[in-house]
Amino acid sequence: MQSTDSPIFKSVAVVMFFIVNLFALYLLFRGHNMPGGGFIAGVATSVAVILLSFGMGLEAAQKILRSDPIRIATWGFLIATLSGVLPMFFGLPYLTTFNYKAYELPVIGDFYIGTPLSFDIGVYMVVVGVITKVIFVIAESTSQEHRLVRIAESGYCARSEEPIEEDPLRKSEEVPIHPDK
Amino acid sequence: MIIILPVLIPLLTAICGLLVQKSSIGRRWFFGFSAWVQFGLAIYLVREAWVSGTQGLYLGGWEAPIGITLVLDMLSALMVGMATLMTLACTIYGFYEQKVEDKHPLRLPLIQLLLVGMNLSILTGDLFNLFVAFEVMLLASYALITLEADDWDVRQAFPYVAINIFGSAFFLIGCGFTYGLFGSLNFADIALQSEQMLADGEGSPYQVELLAMLMVFVFAIKAGAFPLYYWLPNSYPILPPALAGLFSGMLTKVGVYVLIRWLGTVMPHDLDFIYNVLVWVGIASMFFAVLGAVSRNFIRGILSFHIPSQIGFMLLAIGFFTPYAFAAGIFFLLHNIMAKGSLFLCGGVVTFLCGSDDLKKTGNLWVASPLLGVVFFVQAMSLAGLPPFSGFWGKYMIIREGIALGEYVLVGFALAASVLTLFSMLKIWLASFWTENPDVKPRVDDKRWRKMTYAVGGIAIVSLFMGLGAQLFVELSMMASEHVLDRVGYAESILTGREFR
Repeated sequence: MQSTDSPIFKSVAVVMFFIVNLFALYLLFRGHNMPGGGFIAGVATSVAVILLSFGMGLEAAQKILRSDPIRIATWGFLIATLSGVLPMFFGLPYLTTFNYKAYELPVIGDFYIGTPLSFDIGVYMVVVGVITKVIFVIAESTSQEHRLVRIAESGYCARSEEPIEEDPLRKSEEVPIHPDK
Repeated sequence: MIIILPVLIPLLTAICGLLVQKSSIGRRWFFGFSAWVQFGLAIYLVREAWVSGTQGLYLGGWEAPIGITLVLDMLSALMVGMATLMTLACTIYGFYEQKVEDKHPLRLPLIQLLLVGMNLSILTGDLFNLFVAFEVMLLASYALITLEADDWDVRQAFPYVAINIFGSAFFLIGCGFTYGLFGSLNFADIALQSEQMLADGEGSPYQVELLAMLMVFVFAIKAGAFPLYYWLPNSYPILPPALAGLFSGMLTKVGVYVLIRWLGTVMPHDLDFIYNVLVWVGIASMFFAVLGAVSRNFIRGILSFHIPSQIGFMLLAIGFFTPYAFAAGIFFLLHNIMAKGSLFLCGGVVTFLCGSDDLKKTGNLWVASPLLGVVFFVQAMSLAGLPPFSGFWGKYMIIREGIALGEYVLVGFALAASVLTLFSMLKIWLASFWTENPDVKPRVDDKRWRKMTYAVGGIAIVSLFMGLGAQLFVELSMMASEHVLDRVGYAESILTGREFR
């Protein structure tokens, strides 16, 4: 996706990126006992990243995530699973929660923390990874970013599937669709 | 504590496989090792169920009916055993089907995720969790069915996806209906409350019957029963053989398992109308599907049509609804998982050797590989139901119960369907193994087919053991049917701290 020409949209997108992410963190941390949680926070963050990709271009948004979104999702999956496994080492059933409560601390007041938070962080990462991956693949395909499309196809497409888009360069270039074939 | 492990180990294995995506020998060793561990664990679970009967695990420490409960009894232990056995065989078979570098990096993790879904839907004691487990299983299967597909295959896979989404929507409606009716989704709680409701005269029995019928409809879609099996013979042949073995072996049978659980454990035992419907649906699917099998001319097509046909026998056994018939149905279920899965894998070896599984383009295989011939013959005759193979005992028990109940018409239909099964199996046997076909030169110099045959042979040995030492497995099935039909015992061991009449 090419970045837009409008300077207003660009600067708003950058500011909104931080505001929406702050809100997402708020949703993530209040999620244990109140409306919120990993899923909705993940959706908010992915919306922020997509907004940024509209404003600054796809490459910038991918640079912010720093790695393949599916990799983020996988690590999140691992964190969520392991936070359920943890109590099994103490002889408790899978997914049992540990909570820590402290009352009337200075500055922050009452304070709860527990293993549901790490589960939620895992869910958050899964949601961010999957949603941004889906949007990125579609965006790459519709905006003629042939190099990115080819990388995605090598990892996730069926071997003999028709290309998602017509690519006039593909036949002339030496790069195979599936480098490992 | 140990009950969660059949779900957790494949889950962690799949995650590790997703983190390390590059195909390599080490990765294969890891997946193979994990599959062996899971199989060993499943055998331990069978022993556990044998020793201590029905037991529950409350996830997160939330007691039933509030939290999600996993339940282990004989039937679920046996089914987990079969699921892990088939996964093990198909994983090892898949290693030789393709070279390391040809393999799609996501296939192995997706197989493990499929196993997560199957094991969870087998072990769960909660209706909504069952829905989630089905979705995990189906999503993994959608991905697997189109992973290595071309355009034509994707078109063939579409009905599979469509009908399953349709079924899932009805499943969700059924969950809502259940919660509205009983205020609970826990199997044990539903069992108690439905009994209570009918005894107190509150609420009409038709509501319970309607709910039972709705869920039977959903599970019959998943199992591929008569009017709704159209998707199955079209979509299964497009799978690569290793996956076809797993899908045909396990996926539809999970639907049958859930049907047994739903009618045996959860719903009241006086829904005669539904049992009659099931019996006739079973007859129709065994008969019409086998006619489809007779008409086909390629191995995977014939075998795919046999899936609904064999499902028909299981539905017949469920429809008879006596403890003995349930035991027969469970025995037949276990036998059929192995027979059907390994026949698909054999068909894969035939395709590998001859380059095609069209019956006109195969031949000479008995000379090329007597071992493959023996494995195929054992499993084909077992599927058709000839003694002394395991299929004979399953069919014998079902038909004996039918005669004891005086249902001679049904027995006649079942026997006729068996004869047609034998006919279509012999068609494959004669065309691929027994005929000399001068146009076909089996590709024996590529040694991989030998190892593939050994992987199938492993299942064939277990299946032979089940036929020759049927006593053990009949006892296990009797115990499983006792556990399933004992609703009060089930509720007692899950809902601790409540009074029972």
